[in-house]
Amino acid sequence: MSMQALNQLVARSIIDPSVVQSFSAGRMEEVISELDFSNDMQKRLTRLEAKSWAEYAVIAYRYVKAAEEVTVRIQLPSPLEGLLPGQDRTEDEQAA
Amino acid sequence: MIPITREERQWFLRNLAQGLVDYMGVVEPPVPVEDLLRNPPPLYDSDFGVVDMYSNLWDATFARPPSQRGSIFVRIDLEPEERRFVLARETLSALITSKHGRAMGLFDLLLPNLRESAEYFASCLLAPTSLIGAYHEQGGRGRGVARTFRIPQSIALRCWEDFATINNK
Repeated sequence: MSMQALNQLVARSIIDPSVVQSFSAGRMEEVISELDFSNDMQKRLTRLEAKSWAEYAVIAYRYVKAAEEVTVRIQLPSPLEGLLPGQDRTEDEQAA
Repeated sequence: MIPITREERQWFLRNLAQGLVDYMGVVEPPVPVEDLLRNPPPLYDSDFGVVDMYSNLWDATFARPPSQRGSIFVRIDLEPEERRFVLARETLSALITSKHGRAMGLFDLLLPNLRESAEYFASCLLAPTSLIGAYHEQGGRGRGVARTFRIPQSIALRCWEDFATINNK
């Protein structure tokens, strides 16, 4: 959901000046807290420093994308699956 | 300005285009880009406009005469699909040079690759991922994109390929 929230924020920023005004005033926390980011990501995005709103958005994209890639990696099956004790595979199957 | 990759730039442009599509409340193609330029969001009252011109030099160009409203000057004899595309393309120049666009930092981010950025932005504005996705879910095929979205065939092909790429990520 984080990337979707960031996408919506960037989309909103082109027609809603309040996003850029919040950024310029150093009040991104107010904007970020309304969106569907994890607590950790909220903290990172609130502390993020950039020279412009556009630069902020791109750096935020890097953070969110990196976090989502980690999540996807965690969800992959372990290469040890099937080799651990107590699993339903016979010695023959493992040998094959 | 920090260096950014093409993928990052395209992500950013895709979302800017989606913001305008959301503003217009478009739920099905074609996206009425000329209506957007003739009735812009209040933020862009002094930045969007369309002026028809006779010209053999260029298809369309954005210009902002001193102390006047910015406008896209477009060749009057273009095919409708081509006209829609060049108007969408030049909309990015209007955004970048607008007061709000400058406040966003669009100028620094997008100027180094303006032509490429503008063409990508135009394809996203006329065939946004959300509408291409809905079209695909309803059984739409690649060969029907140009007709459905009223865009040039070459652009339609690229939009369809981009959609497949984004969808497979």
